[in-house]
Amino acid sequence: MSDKKGGFEPKIIAFCCNWCSYAGADLAGSMRLKYPPNVLPIRVMCSGRISPHFILKAFQKGADGVLVTGCHYGDCHYMKGNYITKRRVTILKDLLKFVGIEPNRLRADWIAGSEGDKFARVARDFTEEIRLLGPSPLRG
Amino acid sequence: MEYQTVLTTCTYCGTGCGLLLEVLDGEVVGTLPAKTHPINEGKLCIKGWNAHQFIYDKGRLTKPLIRNGENFKEASWDEALELVSKKFLELKEAYGPDSLGCFSSAKCTNEENYLLQKMFRAVIGTNNVDHCARL
Amino acid sequence: MEQLKQNIKKMLESGEIAGFLGIKEQDGHPIPYLFTPEHLDQVDDFVVPEVRYPMAKILLNIVRKYPDKPIGVMVRGCDDRALVELVKNQKILPELVRPIGIACSQAFAEYCRCSQPFPREIHYGEKVGPVADRSDLETVESMGIPERLNYWMGQFSKCIKCYGCRNICPMCFCEQCTLEDDTLISTGEAPPEIPIFHLIRAFHMAGRCIDCGLCEEACPAHIPLRSLYRKVREEMSEYLGYVSGTEDSEKDPLEFLGSEGYEVPSKIDET
Repeated sequence: MSDKKGGFEPKIIAFCCNWCSYAGADLAGSMRLKYPPNVLPIRVMCSGRISPHFILKAFQKGADGVLVTGCHYGDCHYMKGNYITKRRVTILKDLLKFVGIEPNRLRADWIAGSEGDKFARVARDFTEEIRLLGPSPLRG
Repeated sequence: MEYQTVLTTCTYCGTGCGLLLEVLDGEVVGTLPAKTHPINEGKLCIKGWNAHQFIYDKGRLTKPLIRNGENFKEASWDEALELVSKKFLELKEAYGPDSLGCFSSAKCTNEENYLLQKMFRAVIGTNNVDHCARL
Repeated sequence: MEQLKQNIKKMLESGEIAGFLGIKEQDGHPIPYLFTPEHLDQVDDFVVPEVRYPMAKILLNIVRKYPDKPIGVMVRGCDDRALVELVKNQKILPELVRPIGIACSQAFAEYCRCSQPFPREIHYGEKVGPVADRSDLETVESMGIPERLNYWMGQFSKCIKCYGCRNICPMCFCEQCTLEDDTLISTGEAPPEIPIFHLIRAFHMAGRCIDCGLCEEACPAHIPLRSLYRKVREEMSEYLGYVSGTEDSEKDPLEFLGSEGYEVPSKIDET
């Protein structure tokens, strides 16, 4: 809630798959890479576990942005989970746009376990993007 | 294997939406709105959609029960109605007709409600007539 | 019509079907009824009114209790699409269902804005062309993004959580409904939390909705639900090439990866 510059602090929920992206986030931590505290990681076993319900619930509860991260194509620990995630996120983004929520508030990205720097970069970039978009229209 | 829908009116509020009770082999299994009914035109509220739920509820009384201290004892209709009539007459004698009142239900038919209020106003002689819809 | 009634009677008599689910008039109202071989003369009261009931859903209720009996059912274009989807989802066996196809009139097709106002096999009525009407979607698409949210929240705020859209939908056959899951929706409270209530249902309809329009007809608050589900249906067709209700499509790509699952359609990767 640091409003030193008078701007708002986005709240971002990042769903991370246990085997790749969460490991990547962990690595970012051990490498002492800085990424904004606005990003709250939630670990799931596979990005395929991320039901659009969770994403919608996050927005309903006031999240300004939702990041869905998983393994790269072909690397999924459960073989195909990330393929279905991408399908779901695409349809959901269009639905959000149709209803009047900016589709860029939802992003899917693929981060390997060794890509700690990518995790930090994606977190930083996404936070800035959401900061520019402003608070979620569903807040308050 | 018999399936039919029975056109009836919802028992809940005073709007009186038309609904169809789905009856499969003599058992009511669901509700559908009556699309051609002039009042609701095929739409129902949540109470209407579940209007069939109370029919087979385990909490419903199936036999008259007479209070016996802390417990209830099963009785026949004749026994129960004898007791009610005896007590009504005693109370009316001792305290006057206004010591009695009645409370009816939206799940009764209009005709049943009419009979009840007729009995209390004409036979017993009191205006203490009320109904759950007033709550 | 007379010929059709005779055919139905023959089918019942011969045992080809154990019952025929159609519509009968009672007290001036056309209502669903199962005609049986024990009362063949009742088939004379079979009518085809311009009023729609979810025949596929009623069939499902009967089949749940009698999974081995062949049943005939009156189907319009929409009911037929529902049957295709129910067979795909293994809820009914195709060899135990005899659809009696009714083609809708031009006026009725226009009233329903139907994309396929005729079933696969027509036994009664003249086939008319599909009605391509995107005006409800265009109304929303012409608004800017913040305007759209105002519009939709205004519409959703009318919701009284009657579950009518879910109850009447022929595609809502789940044993446990997400809309009654208390981790997502606050159960026992009305009005519902918006927009999550309607967006959950809209996403569920991706790959399932057959665009029959019964949901909008059943909504007491006149919320334009159909345009939400139609939009999702369009997206499924655009991104994944899947149109629910057509016999030649494979299973829903949001639930089944299929043998081509290892490739990501390039259109999706760009988004």
